[in-house]
Amino acid sequence: MVAVPAASLVFAFFASGLVLLATGHNALSSYRRLFDAAFVANGALGQTLVSATPLAFTGLAAAAAFRMRLFNIGGEGQLLVGAITAAAAGLYFGGSGGPSAFAIAAMVVAGCAGGAAWALIPGILRAFFRTNEIITSLMLNYVAAYLLTYLIFNTQSYWRQTTGFNAAVFPTSKDLPSSALWPGATIHLRGGILLPLGAGFAVLAAAVLWVLYSRTRFGFEAQVLGDSPRAARYAGMRTRRKILAVMAISGAIAGLGGASQDGDFRHTLDADPNGLQRQYYGYSGIVVAALARYNPFAVLLVAFLVGGLQNAGNTLQGADFPSGLVGVIQGIILFSALGGELLVRYRIRISRRPAAAPPAPEAA
Amino acid sequence: MSRGKSVRAVALLASASLAVLALTAATGSARTEQRSSAFKVAWIYVGPHNDHGWSQAHDQGRLYVQKQLGSKVQTTFKENVAVGPQLQQTVASLVRDGYKLIFGTSYGYFDTKLAAKYPQVLFEQATGTQTAKNLSEYFGAAEDTVYLSGMAAGAATKKGTLGYVVAYPIPEVIRHANAFALGAQLMHPGAKVKLVWTNSWFDPSKEKHAAESLFSSGADVLGQNVDSPATGEFAQSKHVPWVGYDSNAKKFAPTSWLTASVYHWGPYYVRRVKAAMNGTWKSGFYYGTIKDGFTGLAPYGPKVSKATKAAIAKKMQAIKTGKFYEFAGPLYDQKGKLRVPKGKRLNVQQLYAMNWLVRGVIGSPKG
Repeated sequence: MVAVPAASLVFAFFASGLVLLATGHNALSSYRRLFDAAFVANGALGQTLVSATPLAFTGLAAAAAFRMRLFNIGGEGQLLVGAITAAAAGLYFGGSGGPSAFAIAAMVVAGCAGGAAWALIPGILRAFFRTNEIITSLMLNYVAAYLLTYLIFNTQSYWRQTTGFNAAVFPTSKDLPSSALWPGATIHLRGGILLPLGAGFAVLAAAVLWVLYSRTRFGFEAQVLGDSPRAARYAGMRTRRKILAVMAISGAIAGLGGASQDGDFRHTLDADPNGLQRQYYGYSGIVVAALARYNPFAVLLVAFLVGGLQNAGNTLQGADFPSGLVGVIQGIILFSALGGELLVRYRIRISRRPAAAPPAPEAA
Repeated sequence: MSRGKSVRAVALLASASLAVLALTAATGSARTEQRSSAFKVAWIYVGPHNDHGWSQAHDQGRLYVQKQLGSKVQTTFKENVAVGPQLQQTVASLVRDGYKLIFGTSYGYFDTKLAAKYPQVLFEQATGTQTAKNLSEYFGAAEDTVYLSGMAAGAATKKGTLGYVVAYPIPEVIRHANAFALGAQLMHPGAKVKLVWTNSWFDPSKEKHAAESLFSSGADVLGQNVDSPATGEFAQSKHVPWVGYDSNAKKFAPTSWLTASVYHWGPYYVRRVKAAMNGTWKSGFYYGTIKDGFTGLAPYGPKVSKATKAAIAKKMQAIKTGKFYEFAGPLYDQKGKLRVPKGKRLNVQQLYAMNWLVRGVIGSPKG
């Protein structure tokens, strides 16, 4: 079991080593720098969690839907909408003083509700009109992104900072009041590792998903529906309801990721239209889910590793190391890991087709 | 997915992460940063360092610093950095790697909170407004040079309709659009400038579409306040004159190229790096001008006539000596309302908050 992932890692290092060599870089020292920046250096683990937390949410969101073969590609948009609704809740219910459980709870509920509502649009279209949810959920990502830009740039909306000289120079969203900022726990190790509250919520969400899919009738039915819709209908399972419920759960998790962006990391909806939208957490989450084979706990682990890779990319790039090359190496590592997955899932058998036993012909 | 399978998946991932951790442990303590005496300076760019526009102009400034100060400094850059957590991660890694002075070349990168978090590091931000003991702001009065480049555009138009590809509906871009229009109207009275917003600093495909739509709606000269030369490439394909921005991008449109308002970041960067090295660095707000040699015009293309060049040179001299200022009254907005009365001049604060477009600009200041 260890052989395949180990081999795909070795392959990844070998392949990207060739790329590094061809571009005139020392492969070994580059790797050392990568790992150092991701997991070892002072404060590195905390910075890795900054990337890993949103990936865990979008990864779980994708995994929740994909398990039922419901291809919700809209994690990106659901995260953005969740961030919008959660920021509204934080602005409305927050006040001065320390973190307030009420304000944070309101943000969590609002983020989940926003994400779920956004996911229910393709959900309803799929359940009642048999629309392809891949396309509708994908398209809604762009709508959500434009909505975010619109709220900050093109209107004097509730979210937009409208007072002060800074706000006149460059439009930004309002800062969240201090009681709406999510607290984190600091581990005093290696320059301090900050565990964001959102990371705790992600672990909780993973546990809930695991129980849901492996211990409840709901989860069982959802998986049967995914594997064989016809068999499920024979057994009297309600397809439409299940589609709506699973889409809502998936969207709620992504929306919670948006709330965590507000509360944990940005402390505002978005300071810049090139901020949150340029991270593409929703799309990376799909890769995370696939690598984790839709297993919720594996999603957490993969999100952590991919988050480390993303965080290290910021350190690795520089005048002597183009950011494009960082992307290539990250791509090779992910590609190899996914390729290795294929080998785990399917067995390659080299067989000489015996002449004696031709495949039985299907009924003509 | 069966339970057996999911257990296997977890085992697989656990082993993968073990492998990663093993590698990390093996290489962990070895730091790649050499301890050298060179003063470390970093730049953070919003787009690619070779965008042939805004970020590239800054990177040329960086190379100028490296060339002027040689081995006494070590410079690097981080490109395509988004505002928010990614910026925080990037700054954290730069500080960890020993960078003492960091230039951020986009609004929203640095604020007083960040400056307070790293009191031992000096920060400088282009186009911003927040200052602190270790956070400085700098920018150039490009409205003057954009006005001059607008004159070149106004001289080139036949129909009196120009197109201007713009990024975001923010004061910085709005004042440049206004300056461009005023310059064009000086050479071609009554000229109209149409705007198309891309909502991005660097997006070649959107910029090209914007240029296309401006061209098809009747613009016979194109200008821009975005970072890539995509508009120029389109202009060249239609043989339409083009005014660039930020960098000399003539090679993308050899015959369409007129000129561009450019920044000379290099000398400023050298001054600031030197000051940081010898401990005389002070926080402040710097607004460079033509007179300082901070802003200027890129070399002209073949379509700019001698008469136009002479007119622009004369105007440039008048701006330098303070005899002329494009944002002096009377100035009217799109609806014909008097915004700046005769005898009044806009100051930098007003420029930084400009949210109205001058008469003859077609488009909304809200995007």
